[in-house]
Amino acid sequence: MNKSVLIAFRELKERIGNRSFKLMLFIGPLLIVSMIYLLLESGNQGVTSMKVLISDPTNLFENKIAARTTEGVTYYFYEDYIEFDAFKNSPEFQEFDALIELNEKVLINKKVFLFHREEPNLQLKMKLKFEIERRMEEVLIEQFTSLEVDEFRKIKQPLNIDFINVDDPYSQADNGVAWIGYFLGYIMIFFIAIFGTNITKSINREKMNRISEVILASVKSRQLMLGKIFGNLLASFLQLFAWIVLVALGLWVLQSLIIPELFTPEHLTGVQVSDQQLKELGMQTMTQENMPMDLVFHRVNYWWLIPNFILFFLGTYWIFASFFTIMGAMSGDESDGQQFLVPIWILLSLTIFAGYNTLSYPDSGLTTFFSFFPWTSGMVSMIKVTVGVTVTQYLGILFAWFIQVSVGSAFILLAARIFQHGILSYSHRFSLSLFFSWLRK
Amino acid sequence: MIEIASVSKFYNQKRALDGVDLTIQSGKIFGLIGPNGAGKTTLIRILNQIIEPSTGHVRIGGVPLNNGHVKTFGYLPEERGLYREMKVLDHLVFLARIRGLSKSDALKASNFWLDKFEINPWSAKRIDSLSKGMAQKVQFIGTVLHDPNVIILDEPLSGFDPLNIQLILQEIKAMKKAGKTVIFSTHNMNSVDEICDEVGLVNQGKLVAHDHVSALREKHKTGAFKVRYKGNQIAFANALWTGFELIHTEELGDQWFQSVIKSRHGEAFNDVYNTLSSSVELQLLEEQLPGMQDIFLELVTHHSHE
Repeated sequence: MNKSVLIAFRELKERIGNRSFKLMLFIGPLLIVSMIYLLLESGNQGVTSMKVLISDPTNLFENKIAARTTEGVTYYFYEDYIEFDAFKNSPEFQEFDALIELNEKVLINKKVFLFHREEPNLQLKMKLKFEIERRMEEVLIEQFTSLEVDEFRKIKQPLNIDFINVDDPYSQADNGVAWIGYFLGYIMIFFIAIFGTNITKSINREKMNRISEVILASVKSRQLMLGKIFGNLLASFLQLFAWIVLVALGLWVLQSLIIPELFTPEHLTGVQVSDQQLKELGMQTMTQENMPMDLVFHRVNYWWLIPNFILFFLGTYWIFASFFTIMGAMSGDESDGQQFLVPIWILLSLTIFAGYNTLSYPDSGLTTFFSFFPWTSGMVSMIKVTVGVTVTQYLGILFAWFIQVSVGSAFILLAARIFQHGILSYSHRFSLSLFFSWLRK
Repeated sequence: MIEIASVSKFYNQKRALDGVDLTIQSGKIFGLIGPNGAGKTTLIRILNQIIEPSTGHVRIGGVPLNNGHVKTFGYLPEERGLYREMKVLDHLVFLARIRGLSKSDALKASNFWLDKFEINPWSAKRIDSLSKGMAQKVQFIGTVLHDPNVIILDEPLSGFDPLNIQLILQEIKAMKKAGKTVIFSTHNMNSVDEICDEVGLVNQGKLVAHDHVSALREKHKTGAFKVRYKGNQIAFANALWTGFELIHTEELGDQWFQSVIKSRHGEAFNDVYNTLSSSVELQLLEEQLPGMQDIFLELVTHHSHE
């Protein structure tokens, strides 16, 4: 077996055996799923049942709402005007949680106000909206058309028009999706920072252990270096794969077990809302009401994103790995190495900034520069492919990736030269003169 | 046979090795000695292909040193270590595999050596849980478990207790018996005396001496003899009168002495015997050959003053 592969697997085994690796294997996905859950739940806070008083002085609704009673909402009718202050303060109305005002203007301006004491949760809002709109629809049909209610609903189609600038694929409508790309880019940089630092640490440990000379008698320094780089890459992929599986599992658990009512309208308690009914409300699914849920479950094409993520991850890891290797080889001991990792972290921070800049100014000159600059192109490309690109744009992204891998390979060759001398040098101080001296040798 | 021809190594302006020519015979134990910083480690690293010589070349059995030789070399460096997080058996298998053994052969060889050194019960333990002596045994096993033809040992005895020193020396001798070539670098001259067939002394990057141990001792002998005798001390001194110098005398009992004498004109053993046997009753006459420690000091001091 190729010696680099043997070294890579040894590195992988060491990483897997590490306590922090095992810990991050579960904590990372747990944090992500928890964050998603919190985002989803943030739209679902508030009271879950209400006594709603309908002020209907013109008896528009004729004291009825739905054909049958629903859980969580109880309607009461009041055939007179109720002042806002009276509802708020009068002891007579204190038992009611909300007031719906139906005055005579409602037929013209089609505007209904619901005053509540405590904020209803998302489901309750949906129920109220759905039931009031349906009843209002019946009233309007009766007053203004000769159609039957069922006939009217058959011909009623919601019309949604999205305005998209052909030169601006990152329009407001897609901004949320772009954030998903940014988040994935962030995860990519996070993994590179963690596992890149491990390359430096591993080199330092090998020097401290004095094992390097034993190993170098059996393998070339280049093989040892590549083994370390690939071993850490394998470890990061393994962790990433575990994260993807665990996060997917977590999302499935969220969708199926913990908050199913947010995903499948059929499970809505009390209100049996069909897909057709949702369409009548102008929504494809209930989740459209909840933006994070809509992003996570409907707007992102994971089958497209994951391969691209792997591609950009490989390119970005490759170029940063050379830097981490140089730092490990140049430093005399572990503390020395840690100290000089700061410039790499600054470069990684620049990548984070490049992503943010792409979100804010997608067409700026700086974004164009970042999309080809090898250290930042991975992040920018990630955002672009998440939002969606044309074939031509994608070819541009692949070209940027090619530049990234080429520059990365040049730096790897440079790193190999430094590594060859650095791996056998112990307890020296990091210095630029040493760097150039090793480069010349 | 290992042929080292005109090998030099420069680090920028510094010359670490300066035109070393050396031939090491197969199946011998070769002692590579020299003071710190003399260039021994540089030469060893060149032999192990860790670094390349700036000039010159190395041949093994007439073939230029190449990647294929990695499998046939075993190397225990002075600065040696182990992966502390690995288990003993895993570590040995790993070392054997990067030397070119298959997984099953590596496993078989590791178990054989673990049994031989009686540390098999520790095979599942992590390296960082081993005592220093135990870790050194593992390092030694890691050097030889792929059955190399050339074994290079740089200070292999440092840190070992006397029992383990004997164990390692026995193994080195056994390797010689099995036809292996052992290059043995050490500052411990007693062990050089004990096990080496040939010695090469490196100083300031140059090979300043290379010969059989016995030849070197012969070459550097000082003409000293140890004599134990019974008789009159004055008669003994008179017999020495013109040709010998009395260095030291110790009284062992009544009319019983042990002296060290030094010949002035290079007299041989028989001459000494003939000179003394008629004057005193000789009990012991032994030529005092210098130890490697003395030869080392003499050569290094002499070379440094040149």
